[in-house]
Amino acid sequence: MGSDFYQMSILPFAGIIIKICRAYTNSNEDFEDYYQEVCLQIWRSKDNFNDDASWSTWVYRISLNVCLTQLKRSKNGDKKLVSDTLPEEAIDDSKAFVSAEINQLYDAIKHLSEIDRAVILLYLEEKSYSDIADIIGSNTNNIGVRIKRIKDRLNKYIKQQGQEHD
Amino acid sequence: MTKPIETMWKDGFDKEANLSAPQVNDFYNRESQNIVDKFQNMFAMNIKAIIIGAGIMLIMMTLIGAPFLGLYICALLCPLVIIAKKELNKSVNLSKGQNSYDYLMSFDRWLKGSIETYSRYYRVFYPLFFIGMATQAIVSKAGGKIIALFVEKFPTEIFILGQPYYLIIAVTLLTLIISLSADALYRLDLNIVYGRQFKKLEQLITDMKELRA
Repeated sequence: MGSDFYQMSILPFAGIIIKICRAYTNSNEDFEDYYQEVCLQIWRSKDNFNDDASWSTWVYRISLNVCLTQLKRSKNGDKKLVSDTLPEEAIDDSKAFVSAEINQLYDAIKHLSEIDRAVILLYLEEKSYSDIADIIGSNTNNIGVRIKRIKDRLNKYIKQQGQEHD
Repeated sequence: MTKPIETMWKDGFDKEANLSAPQVNDFYNRESQNIVDKFQNMFAMNIKAIIIGAGIMLIMMTLIGAPFLGLYICALLCPLVIIAKKELNKSVNLSKGQNSYDYLMSFDRWLKGSIETYSRYYRVFYPLFFIGMATQAIVSKAGGKIIALFVEKFPTEIFILGQPYYLIIAVTLLTLIISLSADALYRLDLNIVYGRQFKKLEQLITDMKELRA
């Protein structure tokens, strides 16, 4: 029963979960933890799903909410709430994807605040401003302004990194 | 010239033909690492610990000849079980399928409400607990002997409830101090364990509010 649910309702949307979890983790170990937690929470919340939103929107919401309030293990054993800083272990994750461009982009995304990461991920997933506002719980008008600001920051960061490597 | 980020994303993920999902290891039986679930577990554990603790206290106090103190402590612990159960039930409404703002706000409201409820009760619990212990100590044989020694050393003619006035003053003062510091002690204890997470949560909510303004 449980395994069927994973195969039928989670696995087809694994791409969404992977993309979101990668943006909030700096190591493969954390990524796998977050991925499993999101799956667990989707499974636990399945009875609360209503047809007001599509299943994919539901997956986005749960993935983001879990990542925003996930306890992350730190090296000294205490628990931290989401990744507010980029420790040295970030390097572990620099080859998380095959594409160097995606790794570069994720590196830049991880330097944003948690909320900005959510906004830009949804934007890059081609969600409309109103969908983004609906998932995040914001005003549609503010989303456009925020995306412009985030894109400027990402471009600046990527450019800087490029110059450092040249 | 770097590519626009939209193109980087699209082209990059076109190449990621196999976005491979990590192995899921029986996640249905996995212990959740989410902060909401951790708090829920903490409340559930509190309920069990209080019930077990109350039982042990009652047995121990009866064995040392103070069954009334055992019953008194049990009576003090009972409201704690009710509070923990109520708070646990409230947390069930925290659906992770809400939008992020509503989810964070409802979690924050629940958390602050729970902390407030607990701290209000601890302001009463700690002083009453102390009074119970102090009374038992005073009426016990050993306590009676110590008080007699004190009266011998510091004689007085003023007795309140059959005890030297300075003993009553000391107990009253200590009760007041405990009562005044109970709230701070409880919050300090919570902050030591969850202080960092609370700060982070506040930061998330501030950022979210900014986005909505």
